[in-house]
Amino acid sequence: MHKNISRHDGCTVTGALTVTTFLRDSATIVHGPKGCCHQAVSVLHSSMLYNECFDIPDIFSSAMDEKNIIFGGEDSLNDAIKEALDEDFRCIFIIGTCISDTIGDDIESVCAGFNEKDSVPVIPINASGFLGGSFEDGFISALKGASEIIGENCNFSDKYSDECQIKPLVNIIGEKNLEYEVDANFSEIKRLLNLLGADVNLRFIRNITFDDIQNFNCASLNIIREDTTGDIKRHFEKLTNIPCISSYPYGISNTLEFLKEAGEYLNINPDLAIKHEINYQKEMFESFSDLRGEKISFDSFGFQKADSNLFTEIARHTGIVLDSDGVTIPIPFFTPVGTGGVFHMLSQWRRFING
Amino acid sequence: MKQIALYGKGGIGKSTTSANLSAALSEKSLDILQIGCDPKHDSTRMLMHGQWIPTVLDLVREKGEGNITTEDVVFSGYNNIRCVEAGGPEPGVGCAGRGIIATFQLLEKLDALYGDVIVYDVLGDVVCGGFAMPMREGYAREVYLVTSGDFMALYAANNICKAIARLSKRSKPCCTLGGVICNSQNIEGELGLVSEFAEKINSELTGFIPRSQIVRVSEVNKKTVLEYAPESEQADVYRKLAEKIMNTNPDPDKKPTPLSMDELETLAQKYIKA
Repeated sequence: MHKNISRHDGCTVTGALTVTTFLRDSATIVHGPKGCCHQAVSVLHSSMLYNECFDIPDIFSSAMDEKNIIFGGEDSLNDAIKEALDEDFRCIFIIGTCISDTIGDDIESVCAGFNEKDSVPVIPINASGFLGGSFEDGFISALKGASEIIGENCNFSDKYSDECQIKPLVNIIGEKNLEYEVDANFSEIKRLLNLLGADVNLRFIRNITFDDIQNFNCASLNIIREDTTGDIKRHFEKLTNIPCISSYPYGISNTLEFLKEAGEYLNINPDLAIKHEINYQKEMFESFSDLRGEKISFDSFGFQKADSNLFTEIARHTGIVLDSDGVTIPIPFFTPVGTGGVFHMLSQWRRFING
Repeated sequence: MKQIALYGKGGIGKSTTSANLSAALSEKSLDILQIGCDPKHDSTRMLMHGQWIPTVLDLVREKGEGNITTEDVVFSGYNNIRCVEAGGPEPGVGCAGRGIIATFQLLEKLDALYGDVIVYDVLGDVVCGGFAMPMREGYAREVYLVTSGDFMALYAANNICKAIARLSKRSKPCCTLGGVICNSQNIEGELGLVSEFAEKINSELTGFIPRSQIVRVSEVNKKTVLEYAPESEQADVYRKLAEKIMNTNPDPDKKPTPLSMDELETLAQKYIKA
């Protein structure tokens, strides 16, 4: 098993923080008790450190106490926002918790009060802690909240920059910032886009600035890391009119289909790129020729829903035989992205087979 | 020390009943503390001759909990009855239930919770954990349900009964149902209806307070009936109620049996005719 403590559990607060804290010149205020903020930030920070991300995000707490719970916490939130505004942030996100939601604090109106008079946007994220749902719900809400920065009058065709005219650009949306392979996966997508003659415009949101988001509309395609509910795709299509591919490509044939689909959206003939990728995949499988004839079986540990077709396809291409008595191969927590992801996974299989 | 709580629907006359009950108890030379647990904070107003006393939560908001003294929150009213109002947050903000808990904890810290009888006057439309706190934490040992023959008043009383029944399942129940007080609305068949309701929930009618103009006249004069018209029949009604409550020692093993909605409706239909 690779080292990976990416978090997929927890409440909306942690999920939302994994988005908002990666906008470098922004601050996030967790509107709830100090302990609630501490808990969420601890999970976030320890996961970030493990994944070699050493930045300390700018996170404030409105530090609700019993007095706030009895009389309402809107004044404390107001004070926390003022404190954050004293520093040089370009944008402030507000994430509510179970506590503020239970007593009915109106976070949106507090934010609206600031947005009337301040030039720095104060953006409420629909969170509400465990009451608001899961880590993933918080993550999606934060992506939607942050998309307010893009602005309402989005029409990419009118806003092409010089760079857009040279080659088509693509936005990457909703990278899993606590995923150990986040940058490797990004590089793989960038490689595939480059094969088509396109490039990445913006990583929404991973280590970008507020001003970077202003270029969102330079892209002619959005690619979402993963969109299990379809919610992210619907939101961004409605907001920007930019077409969306709702998932990174997984495995062998799906990577080729991805090139075809992206090519169609970008008005690029994908034939050359697909031909190149097929050769690349052949070379990759050739480099695992020592595994031909080996016997393996898959173990999903009983809790992961494995797409067995995808793994079976990879085994067949490599010449590996599926046999219940074969070496047990754990299904990876994250499905391999692109041909590069398959290469890394096969390296792990080799380790298990030869181990 | 006897700790009683009067719960009931808003507007049913809990505060009037509580204040007159406290006044009647004070005639027995008992040391009485009355705590209003309603954000409306009008429970002790008649005992204070119309004065709106500052609420505990207003003071907490203004001065902070650490700067409050007993003198700030406990006021001496008619016949030296000590009066406290818990208060609450602004409407639509925060959690009043949690405020009730904080008030009791503060009074306990100030050593203000003492006397021969403590009367808690608690609103009963909302019975969240915070408002059930007087029962749950043993502040209120005996609960009296104030109701009339009005269906919604009985509905609220039945809900409080559910809360008591729920609390009686705990390993160390410390709250019992003392009885039902009927504050009459002059509804036909009211005495029979409320008496049968009391019986059906495994309790009894502790007192029937007839509707009387003297109550309104006393209130206009910012006094309890006991103070304004001590010789009146109505004053005697409250004295009898006080006597009955002082002599009541509810059996902790006698659990209340709240009615289902259907049972409550059937009961009401039996007495309330077109």
